[in-house]
Amino acid sequence: MGDKKLQSVQVLLFSVIREQAGIDSTTLQLDPGEAVSAGLLLERLAATYPAIRPMLPLVRIAVNREYVPREHMVQAGDEVALITPVSGG
Amino acid sequence: MTLISNDSAWITIQETPLSLEEVSEFLRVEEAGAVDIFLGTTRRWTEVEEKETDRKTGRPETVLLEYECYKPMALKEMHRFVNEAFSRWPVCRACLLHRIGEVPLREISVIAGVAAPHRADAFAACRYLIDTLKTRAPIWKKEHFVDGDSRWVEGDSAPEHLSSPDTM
Repeated sequence: MGDKKLQSVQVLLFSVIREQAGIDSTTLQLDPGEAVSAGLLLERLAATYPAIRPMLPLVRIAVNREYVPREHMVQAGDEVALITPVSGG
Repeated sequence: MTLISNDSAWITIQETPLSLEEVSEFLRVEEAGAVDIFLGTTRRWTEVEEKETDRKTGRPETVLLEYECYKPMALKEMHRFVNEAFSRWPVCRACLLHRIGEVPLREISVIAGVAAPHRADAFAACRYLIDTLKTRAPIWKKEHFVDGDSRWVEGDSAPEHLSSPDTM
């Protein structure tokens, strides 16, 4: 259980927010057994990458490739993606 | 890279050009009297703010669109849209294909296609596929202009409380 991976959350960024942050992915560490809301996770990320803060109200969050509400609890091992308004097609 | 989930659905995201001929071939089956195909293409002029515009034309010229996606989730969502189309309308076959990377002027970035016994259902299901893709699939486009400038296209905002799959 000392494996760092078991206590971390992978965060993926795309398009405009990826460029603002200057990274396409990062890893956030959780304390053992800790679960945080997706919204709080965004706040933690914005503390490290303040450039993304203005976009956060528009961001939809996906956890493990499904859209979730901000109160969704994120756990270690989850894959979290920041989805700015989409423009495919 | 082509992923065919079963004989009647074809869903893919690829970097290479999309083939209308292959789509037409896939959709024309004996059970279907109506085939509806939507093509999204790169156009030269798009609406942007006045300050960015070319004074002569009133609009800036786009030279290409560049698409980026969260591929595993985009494919998962596209499968969901197609499955939903099958459950809502009498659909014989359906396809939803998206090109990513650079898409030059006039070329096809997306194809939504539906084959159904009658045209009303083919139109409705095809429109559902492209409209839903544009609001839900995690895909983004960046416009590259003739002057070397570029910008991410402001996308569709999220409907509130959007979560899946309950809201579908």
